[in-house]
Amino acid sequence: MAQLLDGLVALPLDARNREQLEWVADDIADAGGEATMWIGHLASRTEELSIINDLAEAVAVEYRKLVAEALAACDLEDVGRRRTLGRLRRELRRVRQRDYFPPPEAQQARVAVESLAKVAEVSA
Amino acid sequence: MIWATRTSVHIDRAACAWLIRRFIDPDASFVFVDDAAEVPAEATPFDMRGAELSHHGDDCTFETMLERYNLADPVLWDIARIVHEADLADERYDAPEAPGLDVLLRGLSMIRGDEEVLAISRPIFDGLYEYRSRTTLLGREPS
Repeated sequence: MAQLLDGLVALPLDARNREQLEWVADDIADAGGEATMWIGHLASRTEELSIINDLAEAVAVEYRKLVAEALAACDLEDVGRRRTLGRLRRELRRVRQRDYFPPPEAQQARVAVESLAKVAEVSA
Repeated sequence: MIWATRTSVHIDRAACAWLIRRFIDPDASFVFVDDAAEVPAEATPFDMRGAELSHHGDDCTFETMLERYNLADPVLWDIARIVHEADLADERYDAPEAPGLDVLLRGLSMIRGDEEVLAISRPIFDGLYEYRSRTTLLGREPS
């Protein structure tokens, strides 16, 4: 999600995002409010790329955190390492679901979590 | 009865269609539309904006259907948890099957039309129902 202005955010247009927003709009209508769905297009490709970069950077931050946690978990004892591995795998899956413009950190995070899995396997 | 839903069916709509044919209306036929305005007058819409049989609050349409049709079968509610997580991924339930089921349905919808997706997914849901039934009876995962 890209914050454009106060009260104005942008989401990439895909079937899942669109459907979720439609349900939100219906909930608002059910509660007596008003909600309409609008699909926006930026007039400038340069501005569009700027928003894409913001979206990519937002998930890159999350991937970098995953890499750091995966590296740190290598030094944990077996039980803690396995527990952390499960959590990081789930978190990686969650981040990938909202990653529409994968930055280089996406691959680094995947490799870091896989490496942690190998360490856990060797020590099993 | 004629039932209407949106084109490009994914997990919630495929699961609902299975539920309708197996537990609500064995003779059901389905039409697929791009907009609510295209729903035939004689059809019952589901999983569409403005339809009674849709998402309500935190529930997906499959859960809404179980409630509206008073389907209390615990196996169906077990499947509802899987469908909910596959559709919404909000971690309301622990359903490790959900991401795999979601990928299967998304992949199917890329290579087949809506009618075919319903036809192919039907035995998948039948199998899931059987598996979860046996799990409930045995109190453990079937071997």
